[in-house]
Amino acid sequence: MSESLFNNSLWFIPMALVAAPAIATDYLSIPQAQQLLFAQANQFSERPTLLSDDARDAIKSRAGTRQRQSNQPIWRAEKDGEFLGWFIVDDVIGKHEYITYATAISPTGEVLGIEVLSYRETHGGEVREQSWRANFKGKTLKDPFKLDEDVPNISGATLSCRNLLDGVKRLLTIHELYLTKDA
Amino acid sequence: MPERPESLRRARPLLGTFTDIRIIDAGSACPQSAIEAAFMAMKSIDEALSFHRPDSELSRLNAHPGSWQPMGRHGLRLLKLAQILGRHSDDGFNVTVGGELVAAGALPRHVSHTFIPMGNWQDIELKPGHARLRRPVLITLDGIAKGYAVDLAIASLKRHGVQGASVNAGGDLRVFGETAIRIVLRHDNGLALGNDNGLVLRNDNGVALGNEKGISQVLWLKNAAIASSRHGGKEDARFASRIITGNAMPESAQLHSVIAPFAWRADALTKIAASGNEAKLLRLGGRRADRRADRRADQSLLKV
Repeated sequence: MSESLFNNSLWFIPMALVAAPAIATDYLSIPQAQQLLFAQANQFSERPTLLSDDARDAIKSRAGTRQRQSNQPIWRAEKDGEFLGWFIVDDVIGKHEYITYATAISPTGEVLGIEVLSYRETHGGEVREQSWRANFKGKTLKDPFKLDEDVPNISGATLSCRNLLDGVKRLLTIHELYLTKDA
Repeated sequence: MPERPESLRRARPLLGTFTDIRIIDAGSACPQSAIEAAFMAMKSIDEALSFHRPDSELSRLNAHPGSWQPMGRHGLRLLKLAQILGRHSDDGFNVTVGGELVAAGALPRHVSHTFIPMGNWQDIELKPGHARLRRPVLITLDGIAKGYAVDLAIASLKRHGVQGASVNAGGDLRVFGETAIRIVLRHDNGLALGNDNGLVLRNDNGVALGNEKGISQVLWLKNAAIASSRHGGKEDARFASRIITGNAMPESAQLHSVIAPFAWRADALTKIAASGNEAKLLRLGGRRADRRADRRADQSLLKV
């Protein structure tokens, strides 16, 4: 296993400057998150929602945060025709972070659950692919234990999740303004 | 897309930050229900002991100085640990600084009474099922509770039969099992990826402590916890925490990462690391992530 890292052709890329995401974790696909948040449901029908400029203004004034996208991905969750709630996918964009998450909202507008689908965090500047790969180097020399090749965990100052919670509040506003009468 | 049952990773917003649980070896556990239970364990700490929630047990304690207030098992345990660390660090670790943080606008004000900015560990009194504040201080457990919640989540995973996993609550993280996981430190200017030298020093526990230049950028951690705190620098809404050391705040932000056997201890000891007292840090059972392990120090760990 140790050798494969070095034999990987990427290893020999000459010092390319790549502005790549430094940490990119994919937790759940959309169908996986749907199943997790609405375990009972056997049907998810996509309800494409195009928000006009006026609608986005209304959301902002009610929720306090800007509705960036005009096309919000929303699904209706059902079990044998019985309406269970809404499944909404949304993004949070921070200074270096890009987080996609899903929220399940009950027919009465309660949050049933939140799951992070993917987390991307870029380096402050450009990342040299070569030096990033170099991090693998030391670990493969006579390792006395198994090494986890998964995406690394970050330890640093605690990143506030307020952005995401503001996002959920915005989704609840969308529900209140535009989804209650369609239920 | 079927998941490999032995490997599963989930993230949720909890404890004011992003929490990440990864099952590396599910053992005899059902990984989905084990992860769910671990998230619930962290959520219970969030609800009971958050300074930010006006209805938490902690906020009730802060609102009624001088009178015994009911306190759950975890609240009592955390306050006990905070007392012990406060005593052994001469209040270098101090949970009674809530008043100062409220006055600075770093924490919300929920109480109407006049409070003192900072007390000491003796301001906390405990008896079975109850806690009392001797003086009107405001307790904040922000410097220890996330780590404690991580330990609880790990305990819950083990109870479910999981054999290897990591739990990360906003940089306070712990891993157990046969596998070492990779940790990247995040500084103010981004992730610390620029490790130009691959050779990694390692202590007996398999913890990598830096490359041969002595700079630790990417760490490997096994059966241990690490926590990081930012100290000084400009205020940044993304990283809302603040450390009070009694010294002037450094002008540029520093990152203090500490390795310890348990996450609560690593979390708490980042505040000792920020004060710059390395001897005290070692005596209290932690070490800076960017230093080689000192075996003598490891053997004289304070038993808490």
